[in-house]
Amino acid sequence: MTPWSLIPHLLTSGITIGAIYALVALGFVTIYRASQIINFAQGEFVMLGGIITFFFLRGGGIPYPLAALLAVILVIIIGLLLQVLVVYPLRKASVLIPLMATLGASIFLSNTSGLIFGTLPKVLPPFSGERPLEIGGIPIAPQSLWVLGATFLLLITLYILSHRMLLGKAMEASSTDPLGAELVGISRNLMVLVAFGVSAGVGALAGIFITPIFYTSYNSGTLLGLKGFVAAVLGGWGKNGGAVLGGFTLGIVESMSVAFIPSGYKDAVAFVILLLILYIRPKGILGSPFIDSRRW
Amino acid sequence: MVERIRREFRKRDLCYLGALLLLPLIWPDPHLHHLLVLAGIYAILALGLSLFLGYAGQISLGHAAFFGIGAYTTAILTTRYSVPTFVAFWASAATAAVIAYLIGRPILKLKGYFLALATLGFGEIFLVMVRESRSLTGGVSGIFGIPWFSLAGFSFDTYLKQYYLIWGVLLGLLLFAKNLVRSKVGRASLAVATSEDAASTVGIKVAQVKVGVFVVSAAFAGFAGSLFACVMSTASPEAFGLSLSILIVMMVIVGGMGNLYGPIVAAIFLTWLLDILGGYQEYSLPIYGVILILLLIFFPEGIGTRLGIRLMYLISYRGRKKKREEVQL
Repeated sequence: MTPWSLIPHLLTSGITIGAIYALVALGFVTIYRASQIINFAQGEFVMLGGIITFFFLRGGGIPYPLAALLAVILVIIIGLLLQVLVVYPLRKASVLIPLMATLGASIFLSNTSGLIFGTLPKVLPPFSGERPLEIGGIPIAPQSLWVLGATFLLLITLYILSHRMLLGKAMEASSTDPLGAELVGISRNLMVLVAFGVSAGVGALAGIFITPIFYTSYNSGTLLGLKGFVAAVLGGWGKNGGAVLGGFTLGIVESMSVAFIPSGYKDAVAFVILLLILYIRPKGILGSPFIDSRRW
Repeated sequence: MVERIRREFRKRDLCYLGALLLLPLIWPDPHLHHLLVLAGIYAILALGLSLFLGYAGQISLGHAAFFGIGAYTTAILTTRYSVPTFVAFWASAATAAVIAYLIGRPILKLKGYFLALATLGFGEIFLVMVRESRSLTGGVSGIFGIPWFSLAGFSFDTYLKQYYLIWGVLLGLLLFAKNLVRSKVGRASLAVATSEDAASTVGIKVAQVKVGVFVVSAAFAGFAGSLFACVMSTASPEAFGLSLSILIVMMVIVGGMGNLYGPIVAAIFLTWLLDILGGYQEYSLPIYGVILILLLIFFPEGIGTRLGIRLMYLISYRGRKKKREEVQL
């Protein structure tokens, strides 16, 4: 089989994983826009979403939609706790300290999950049947369509939240000018808390959608989180649209690379892209509203 | 020369040195010797990173990769080409330094989170390369049978001998670092850490200083990696992952930024802590995560720095109190 004949398959799997990267990237961007903090534990929300759903479904015998809902609520609570216990006490520290603290939280969350739910990789049943649909001669798993649909819906929801609702505008205001926002009665801490909740929820949903396709184990969150960050930088740091575009681009490129280079190098592709984009065009494909500020 | 040495070491430092020399002899426990050997290697790493993080004010989450480059250079040179370990030791540092120079030019333009992410990405790329180029690095299982470090026919084959070797190297590097910090480059890097704009207006070539410090700190990591390969006699990719990078950065933070002795003390402290945590089996990593967060929340400027300030505050408070009482009288 020549590499070219694999391309349609790789494209569909690339789009699917790209959607997941996009959701992780959206989580990063949501928190950053409200607090100028980068939460390196973002990938753990994804892992926890998948694994907690699995736990409720298999261990508790709870119906699928309810298990997923419970998992999302639990992960949102974990996200809020992360903000209250780790990020809030460090709100005045310089860049390095919150960065290391969220990395510490990531170590804690992934290993605690391994401790509670076991270290074996887990897989959820697909939402609607295993039989692949044939579209134009290419078999597509129904789960991929679920992932795409969900990403689209979440993107619209987040767009409405951040650009059309008072809450989103308040969040952005508290990030661009904390003092000014406080003066007009926006509580910065509340905004950061809401941002952590939203991004944990988005991450958990990503985890629930991805676990039927890819195995999720207690330590798969870190790499997923990092790739989501790469996607956010690639598309244009700080923009929801950029996060989605970057996610799909990264997913497709990474998946395509398998046809041309040994598959073991796949995980390096994202980081090579990262180094290239940071070197050539740090503001990403769509450009970034934050990148020309002095702190970069 | 004597004058010079006297200037370099105060009496207090000589006490520390004596304690370090005698410690393994007083306490002949092989496990302790092994821990101290590990702590010494981490201390070399942390010392190098302290120059970059504490003095030049840049973030690197990829130092485990330079450590790994050092270890693999030694491993490949000694096992494949039977190069003497002493030569491989220098070659390791040189390789790490050259690679740091090559990636430093583009990467160090970045700041803050983005620099952290780029260096982290470099570390991940290194890991993938090591795992995949099996013919050179032995893939996931790594390289075995690296000879002990030997110098002029004398082989460092027990933990005790390795202890003296590593702490000797550390002492040499500490002297180098102390001199570097007080040199023109050291002062320039402090200026860069404070404000890049201000530094460039007084004629400091910011990019050059940053790359220079990065290269030196990578060379330190290369030395440490070479020693690590000789002590462990194996090199496998697991040892050089993100968790090691996090650990080294934590050593520098806990030891206090902009301080050369701090990272060494912190290296001993954290190595000891990890050893104790190792006894809790599967609970060790969650506890480790919590301890990291607590250290960052309560001692963001390092345990030593905070302690010093607190002590001074306490003393001055008591002084003020005394004065107040005198005034009242």
